[in-house]
Amino acid sequence: MTTAALEGQLGSIVGARYVRSRAAELLVYESDGLPGYRKRPSLAVFPGTRDEVVAVVQLLARERVPFVPRGAGTGLSGGALADGVVLIGLNRLTRIIDLDPASRLAVVEPGVVNASLSRAAHAHGLHYAPDPSSQAACTIGGNVAENAGGPHCLKYGVTLNHIMAVNAVLPDGSVTSFGSADGEREGYDLLGAFVGSEGCFGVALDITVRLTPNPPAVRTLLADFMSIDAAARATTAIIAAGIVPAALEMMDAGTIHAVESSIYAAGYPIDAAAVLLIELDGLAAGLDRDVERVVALCEETGARGVRVAQSEVQRVKLWQGRKKAFGAMGRIARHLFVQDAVVPRTQLPNVMASIATIAEQHGVRVCNVFHAGDGNLHPNIPYNGNDPAERERVHAAMREIMQACIAVGGTVTGEHGIGLDKLGYMPLIFSEDSLNRMCRLRDAFDPQRLANPGKVVPVRSCREWHGFVGREAPLRAAAAS
Amino acid sequence: MTQVAGPVSTAGAVIDASSTSQVQEAVRDASARSEALRIVGAGSWLHAGRPVRADSSLCVRSLAGVVEYVPGDLTITAWAGTTLAELDRVTAEHGQWLALDPFGSRDGTLGATVATSSFGPLAASFGTPRDVVLGLQCVTGDGEIVNGGARVVKHVAGYDLVRLMTGAWGTLGVLTMLTLRLRARAPVDATYAVSISAPLGEWIAAYRAASVSPLATELLHAATASTLGLGSDMTALVRVSGNDEAVAAQEKALAELGALRAVSGEAWAALAGHDASRPTAALRLSHRPARIADVWELATAIARDVPDAVVHATLDRGITRVVLPRIADADLVARLHAATACTRVFEVLPAVLWREVAPSAVSDPLSQRVRAAFDPERRLNPGILGEA
Repeated sequence: MTTAALEGQLGSIVGARYVRSRAAELLVYESDGLPGYRKRPSLAVFPGTRDEVVAVVQLLARERVPFVPRGAGTGLSGGALADGVVLIGLNRLTRIIDLDPASRLAVVEPGVVNASLSRAAHAHGLHYAPDPSSQAACTIGGNVAENAGGPHCLKYGVTLNHIMAVNAVLPDGSVTSFGSADGEREGYDLLGAFVGSEGCFGVALDITVRLTPNPPAVRTLLADFMSIDAAARATTAIIAAGIVPAALEMMDAGTIHAVESSIYAAGYPIDAAAVLLIELDGLAAGLDRDVERVVALCEETGARGVRVAQSEVQRVKLWQGRKKAFGAMGRIARHLFVQDAVVPRTQLPNVMASIATIAEQHGVRVCNVFHAGDGNLHPNIPYNGNDPAERERVHAAMREIMQACIAVGGTVTGEHGIGLDKLGYMPLIFSEDSLNRMCRLRDAFDPQRLANPGKVVPVRSCREWHGFVGREAPLRAAAAS
Repeated sequence: MTQVAGPVSTAGAVIDASSTSQVQEAVRDASARSEALRIVGAGSWLHAGRPVRADSSLCVRSLAGVVEYVPGDLTITAWAGTTLAELDRVTAEHGQWLALDPFGSRDGTLGATVATSSFGPLAASFGTPRDVVLGLQCVTGDGEIVNGGARVVKHVAGYDLVRLMTGAWGTLGVLTMLTLRLRARAPVDATYAVSISAPLGEWIAAYRAASVSPLATELLHAATASTLGLGSDMTALVRVSGNDEAVAAQEKALAELGALRAVSGEAWAALAGHDASRPTAALRLSHRPARIADVWELATAIARDVPDAVVHATLDRGITRVVLPRIADADLVARLHAATACTRVFEVLPAVLWREVAPSAVSDPLSQRVRAAFDPERRLNPGILGEA
């Protein structure tokens, strides 16, 4: 089928105005939150209802046209890019279908924005706990695809721990349900497999999530350190003391400077080598005792000072600096390479030292802002992507940083996913047998290999994946003509 | 010759494996002989009773011990045959614990706990094995060693083989090694028995409004409370932890809900071990937490006629568990299911009842394709999920 014919048929499902094919209209879908990659879809289609999503996928399955589901496009691994294939935008499916405060559940469409769900639940004293930094824009559907994290996952868990059920259309166009709003279900945990499958196992039609009671009391602390090493040791000490902070975030000097010279200035000490943003929450009784203990542990490990936010305004300001840190780095250079790796917590001091050495060797500037309590690093490098030599230095430094993380028993992504960006790292952490088995699992969900082709598991470990190219080629040719 | 294994007996020869390569060898040998394997851990509990068609048993009990434990990381990697008791001992030395408390004996193995996705009252706070297992190694039905997850607390690289293997009852792979998330022990960990004299719905409303944040709250049928030596009333067994100030305040709040007694934490072990006498049938009724009072009423009414029936419920998770030590007829089980309109999960049933009341949950095409992706010839525990 030609692209024009497909456009017509998709238009008859969703309405012509919700199918985009002109290059200028597709430009915005060429990249996600990671600007290093640009891939243009041949068509973008925006179904407005669940039935339209199903009909679109059924049409594409029948015509054997590969497709990529996409939420807000805030992902950080190139996972939602469609290279010459059809992009299915889920942003129009924004209904909160049900909110059950008594059972602390909500059923939402995939395009519901993360923060708007928490806003809707607020009246009932509840919120949706996973809080990626992009929560003001990112969608629950995208969060499910990536098994997204966020600062408060330290205490409350990642997306997977909050998803109870998903109704989805599989890549063959059949509709199925995973999990149960009742909480349990016999059989294989296909819900667990679906969450974090990066859009390769189908498209979520509705999602049942667990809501979390708002904590009755919250304390937010900013601890200020003269070395990254001391801040890393404080992190380990707090976790080992049996206190589970709601969040425990670290920012280094590079990040502090970026934030403090931006409109998100949070009052972080600009002469500090690192700060820890620590939040404790729970019942009011005994909370200040834990705060005292955390302050003492920070001081014992060398904090210059610890400040406790005295009002909600101060608390929000401290958090805004953290949540907008990536944006603030935009002041430093045109492009930002955002990285995501996880190391065992006790390896934080070692790894932070390795990162500093690697940055120096390659002449790049690393800004660290990350979930220290989880050992989940985000060493980000602002750079000028239009300078090929600089770009190469950044990539070389990133490769070495990832190798350093793997060498201490870490992994290459804690919350951003593999997408396109990290395909090359997969053979470093998984054996060929394990990668092949992942391909076979993918084939169980998507025997025609239509959903989000070319992502997550590298092509070279899966010889059978060559089929993709042949199938998508005619569509790409038609799009170009 | 293919035998049908009951819950206790094991079929044919028993192959002991004490390393991943021995498990791999056993699976490949079975495949070469076109035979099926029943996978066994301690063999002491969590016998689902589903008829497994196997020629021999593969026992991973000697595949035991801690592989790696760095207390500061709050993770532990252990072989699948390691008992929960051993993990308790090793982690307690560092003031840590594995927050999984499945019903049954602590002499059960880690591998069985994960393979059956067994959990107990702590699931209310810490989730089920799917929330606790971080990484694993297994041997697939066609004899390959496969890894999923990692040894760190957050990991989203690749498709999630960890969740897939957890609760698959060994039908996708023989679990050989697991990495788990641990918790640091809080300074105070207290357990209280609170008598419930108000109508349950009202009591639950008061409980939800109270300033408490328990690790676990289990409702106990009066007879169950009495068996456990916790008095003769319907009782809430509540576990609270934190610093002394936090625990004292919650004790005070709980005392407003009914006559309260501080009891030994052993009460939890007693509740978990209560089933050790091999019940005829045990099932969980899962439901939205808001339905708990209704489901409780229906379940206890039906179980009332069964001598020594045990009924208890994980209040904040919405799970009512019914254990029937002697009589378990299909009609009773069907009535429980129909009356309560819950999702039911069977832990144990008499072999003859499986087909009648619990059709296989893996007979859909997708589940069958998933099975084929990991165990194409169905060498591992065939029949344990009720599949044809």
